[in-house]
Amino acid sequence: MENLDAARLQMAFTLIFHIVFACIGMVMPFFMVVSHYKWLKTRDQIYLTLTKSWQKGVAIFFVTGAVSGTALSFELGLLWPEFMKHAGPIIGMPFSLEGAAFFVEAIALGFYLYGWGKLPERFHWITGIIIGVSGVASGILVVAANGWMNSPSGFDYIDGQFLNIDPIQAMLNPAWFTQALHMTLAAFTATGFAVAGIHAYQVYKKRKVELHTKAFKIAITFGAIAAILQPISGDISAKDIAERQPVKLAAMEAHYHTQKGAPLYIGGIVDNETKVVKYKIVLPGMLSFLAFGDFDAEVKGLNDFPEDELPNVAMVHYAFQVMVGIGTLLLFAGILYFISLKRKKWFNSIKYWLLFVLLAPMGFIALEAGWIVTEVGRQPWIIHKIMRTKDAVTPMPGIVFSFYTYVVVYLTLTVAVTWLMLRQIKVLNNSNH
Amino acid sequence: MLYVVLFFLIFSLYLYVVLGGADYGAGIVELFSSEENQKITKKTIYRVMGPVWEANHIWIIILIVILWIAFPVYYNIMVVHLHIPLTIVLLGVTLRGVAFVFRHYDAVIDNSQKLYDGMFKISSLVTPIFLGIVFGALIGGKIHITEDVSTLTFYDAFIAPWFNVFSVLVGLFFAALCAFLSSVLLIGESEEGNENIYIRKSAIATIVVFVLGLVTFGYGYSTGNIFVTDFIKNPLALIAVVCSAGLLLPLWTTIRKGNKVWSRFFAGLQVFLILLAALISHFPDIIITQTKSISLLHDIAPDSVINVLGISLIIGGTLILPGLFHLLKSFKMIKILEEKNNPSI
Repeated sequence: MENLDAARLQMAFTLIFHIVFACIGMVMPFFMVVSHYKWLKTRDQIYLTLTKSWQKGVAIFFVTGAVSGTALSFELGLLWPEFMKHAGPIIGMPFSLEGAAFFVEAIALGFYLYGWGKLPERFHWITGIIIGVSGVASGILVVAANGWMNSPSGFDYIDGQFLNIDPIQAMLNPAWFTQALHMTLAAFTATGFAVAGIHAYQVYKKRKVELHTKAFKIAITFGAIAAILQPISGDISAKDIAERQPVKLAAMEAHYHTQKGAPLYIGGIVDNETKVVKYKIVLPGMLSFLAFGDFDAEVKGLNDFPEDELPNVAMVHYAFQVMVGIGTLLLFAGILYFISLKRKKWFNSIKYWLLFVLLAPMGFIALEAGWIVTEVGRQPWIIHKIMRTKDAVTPMPGIVFSFYTYVVVYLTLTVAVTWLMLRQIKVLNNSNH
Repeated sequence: MLYVVLFFLIFSLYLYVVLGGADYGAGIVELFSSEENQKITKKTIYRVMGPVWEANHIWIIILIVILWIAFPVYYNIMVVHLHIPLTIVLLGVTLRGVAFVFRHYDAVIDNSQKLYDGMFKISSLVTPIFLGIVFGALIGGKIHITEDVSTLTFYDAFIAPWFNVFSVLVGLFFAALCAFLSSVLLIGESEEGNENIYIRKSAIATIVVFVLGLVTFGYGYSTGNIFVTDFIKNPLALIAVVCSAGLLLPLWTTIRKGNKVWSRFFAGLQVFLILLAALISHFPDIIITQTKSISLLHDIAPDSVINVLGISLIIGGTLILPGLFHLLKSFKMIKILEEKNNPSI
């Protein structure tokens, strides 16, 4: 395996894991504080049991998120030293603020976990809110740094030199808002459906039905609202990409030929040799409309971009289809949940619970697919139109061994964390509130 | 603003060495304890470190972020040539953090605890050794700087800089320092009747630190290590080291008297002096390579970046430090509350 491929695989692999841990660590505190709030309001023992159970989940995921994040902060330099040498000072701002936000989160977590019965009740609850808010802030800041790679700004690039650096403009790059909004909603959707799915399974199995129904309702409310809002954010993102990274948009849609009134392809198999998409559903004029709000607008095709500036079209197209497909599915599931609140008898139906069990992993699959779209779609650039990924990679050979080590360690961690969660649920089911 | 950034760089390095170091040290102390004492130590570590250990380790992230933003050239040399020991540090940090949480949050207590304990103890020892090795490599004079790394053999470019006697000695020295800090801390935190365990550990750790310090210097001097020879010529560095050694006397007096605040203060001050000596003897040339020394202040980020970073650090610091202080204070408060509720402790 080439060094570059190994480095890219290692980065992708560690990010894929970190994103899951980080999202759960970022969103679950909100479920926890809602349950905590209900305990303080109603003094219903079930909510206390649930809060304490969720806080263990938060602690475990916070730590796995934190250590994998520490690893990533080093990996950026270890794998991409040339990138960091030039980009480090420019995009340092969101990273240093993220460090601060993360620190606040760790302090608040210390107070929250160890504060039961020792801190004033209201203050204790507020530390829980701080965990959630600073977690989301961290997420937004890191995504802002990624946004800069897609839409570099805040400097002048003259003769291979990065001059007149403005770190604030770099942080508030044109992509930061759309990406951060899309990612935050995705985190809430994915975590909401995943946690709700786990509790739905317990209801499905008729274990502690009252407790798990309460847990399900809290988690799914967050997930459903986010899933319903997500298409709006997706539309903003699509229009933004059409303007800033037209080649990425063309790859997402496997759109080869420049044309006015471009059609939207749903599904299909991409043949990059003959540059055709087989077995697709065609919606005439829709791509032009989605990208520019005009059915007749011209959308530039992949054929009109230089050959050496194209990403892997098939991978980007498939990932995009998966993301949009699942996003739509979750949107309907979210609406279904709100209808079920009016039709209480659905809660007695085994099929209702089974549906949410099956949806549990979907949000995360869509979220990872979305990151594949944005990251693979950015290739061959590490800084869009400025620096190629192959020019940024470490000169140290043999990264493939480092990659294998990470694969073994992270897979083991995943198995271990899953096993711990199963034990947690088992104990929860055997508890007497 | 450059001074603000430098202050935060050294400040976070110091806090990482003291707080993170004490944290690693706790695992080392546990590793070198009898089975019965291991159980006691495990309980104490959980109580003492539980609320703060995550915060302790964030200092290294702050440190790295400051390095890459403000001193990109310096950071670049480090991540290219010391890729392997840094990767080992990362794996150590990961496994250690995970083991700590697993052993305290696993809902079921059974045989898997043995695995978590083993992981925790081993990674607590290996990680600081490799952190020390990285520092030793930066000052060891074996890094080979060249325009094109591919002209060097893999061994010369990526192994020789850190895999040498001097760097390994610095690594062992740092691990011993961690154990020293931790055992002094644990004296004050242990339950009544157990103080003697940690007083004994502190004594052993002090001796090990002292001996390893001498061996490292002796070896460096005999092999003509530039850092060591310059160190000896630098009166300020020498004064700092002598002061640090001289503080052993008040340290042991306070330990014997059971004054935990002062004993911690002295131990922290000793580490500060050692770090200060290491930094000033060659400052600002923190990287010493085969051919030249590279100044930390060489090729720094432009003023606009340094200014914004300085301001962010000041804002971040004012947010974080009071919170951290209250956290440290509160968990102490928690312990006092526990003592009130349960007079038997």
